[in-house]
Amino acid sequence: MLEAGRSDLQTDTFAITAARLKAKRRQRRRLTDLLAYAVLIVIALIMLYPFYWTFITSIEPTGNIYEAKILPKSVGIRNYAEMWKGTTVPFWRLILNSVVICTLGVTLTVTLATLAAYPLAKMRFPGRDLIFYAILALMVLPNESGLIVNYITTIKLGLLAQTNPVLDAIRQYMAVVLPGLASIVGLFLLRQAYLTIPLELIEAARIDGGSELTIWRLIMLPLAMPTIAAFAILEFVAYWNSFLWARIMLPDKNMLPLSAGLLELSGTFSTNSRAVMAGAVITIIPILIVFAFGQKYFMKGLEGAVKG
Amino acid sequence: MTTTPRRASRREQHRVGGTGAKVTTRNTLIAYAFLMPFLILLVVYHTWPVIFGTYLAFTKYNIISPPQWVGLANFRELFADEQFWSGLKNSLKYILIVPVIQVIAILVALLVNRPMKGIGFFRTAFYVPVVTSFAVVGLMWNWMYQQGGAVNTILGFIGLPQKGSFLNNPATALYAVMFVTLWKGIGYYMVLYLAGLQSISPELEEAATIDGASRIQVFWNITLPGLRPTILVCSLLSTISAIKVFEEIYVMTQGYPAGSTYTALFYTYSRAFQDYKYGLAAAGGIIIALISIIFGLINFRLTRGGKVDA
Repeated sequence: MLEAGRSDLQTDTFAITAARLKAKRRQRRRLTDLLAYAVLIVIALIMLYPFYWTFITSIEPTGNIYEAKILPKSVGIRNYAEMWKGTTVPFWRLILNSVVICTLGVTLTVTLATLAAYPLAKMRFPGRDLIFYAILALMVLPNESGLIVNYITTIKLGLLAQTNPVLDAIRQYMAVVLPGLASIVGLFLLRQAYLTIPLELIEAARIDGGSELTIWRLIMLPLAMPTIAAFAILEFVAYWNSFLWARIMLPDKNMLPLSAGLLELSGTFSTNSRAVMAGAVITIIPILIVFAFGQKYFMKGLEGAVKG
Repeated sequence: MTTTPRRASRREQHRVGGTGAKVTTRNTLIAYAFLMPFLILLVVYHTWPVIFGTYLAFTKYNIISPPQWVGLANFRELFADEQFWSGLKNSLKYILIVPVIQVIAILVALLVNRPMKGIGFFRTAFYVPVVTSFAVVGLMWNWMYQQGGAVNTILGFIGLPQKGSFLNNPATALYAVMFVTLWKGIGYYMVLYLAGLQSISPELEEAATIDGASRIQVFWNITLPGLRPTILVCSLLSTISAIKVFEEIYVMTQGYPAGSTYTALFYTYSRAFQDYKYGLAAAGGIIIALISIIFGLINFRLTRGGKVDA
């Protein structure tokens, strides 16, 4: 009786001490969490403020343009209207160019990679491993002169020739996308995805007399869809954001994609930066939308790409 | 005993190709048909630049007439050109960014790896600069760096001396551009480190904590060694892109003021597309490639080849 009581007492003291320790730990945890939040908020402010600042300055018709601000002094769409009119190149044309270049670029890049990865993952033919390793080796070869030689190649292929407006436009769009179409990262991502697809499925289809193209279309593509989506989003962001190649190479300013055209306009609008800010806001919005919806895919693609 | 796994791997190889798939001419043709569009573009736009770019470095070339072999003349001109050396110097200065960006990215990754409410928001927020075009990023910071601009206002607000226009001052311009590279790059490396952190077994860290290791001890002895492969990859990537820094210079300063932001790759760009000296530019490209390789090797040695148990 007495023994049991004492041991009860003992367990009670243990419980109390344990609870006290736990509370202390929880308190310490809450404190470090608080500290972590504080640091995270400061970093988030540094990361996001430039975007916010550009946005509020772009909707402000007048005021001290470059100073730091928390809220716009006044609100209006004048800067957007001026941007839309543009000067030499109409803004709608830049948007159209970006849409065409992205559509062409993403569709062709994804198609080429999904096609080329299939025999590398699921067929047997002489030279398969050699080709795969040669492609991987190409990834580490120094390519500092890429911009220069690709420019020469583009000229030599006659893609910058000017004969009639429609043909010129098609050729110049092709000139913009062609150098990026063979994506080694994409090939690697898709080969990895294909390798996980069970061979039984493919064999069954082969026995049933399905052609390789049918197998690719009806088995490989649907089953690799998550990877294809991830890769497509990565490519969309890359094509939408790229400006250097187009700006260096294209002879016709009317053909520039949005981000390249923005730089052009920042020259012509040098006295009206607010209008360029409006253009910058419009340039970012599609990326933010795609990123917000496709973030999970995007991160997956990124990690896969680096592991490759 | 030893043959069993070998046989298995051989069978595996067979399975990759498919059992029914004999190596027939027909199958080979089909396989190459699948590969062909990709391979043609790869050869034209990836392999050819490496070959032709190397050849160009030893020639005089103006696109219209065929290249003329000039031996090492381009390299002699390159080494005699003061602008090339100052470009190289600025590119090497840019490497200063590597340790800074890696340390910050690791710390940020540790922070966003904590199981806290709303952590997803922070991860996304830190990644937004990564998915924004350098065209937009460069313009935004150009505006904010102006005299009396946002950066200066904020510096004044937290009690630091204002600097005037950051990009017009040769003493600050390069560092101002470096900060933009840092700002845009942290999210990218953060995601890679996050993946690295999540591959470290939590049991190991737990066991150490139970054995009485302090948090700092756990970090130094378990977390950091576990991250070593990621650190190798990340610092390699950022060293090479520091040496080859170009886009931010192109958008923000074009090498000005007083050549203080003129980098090595910007040199090759302006020789090719402003002076039309393609051979000289290609020679510059080769030197930059060699330097990248050397720094890559140094990096490999410093991180001990990324071996976890080194």
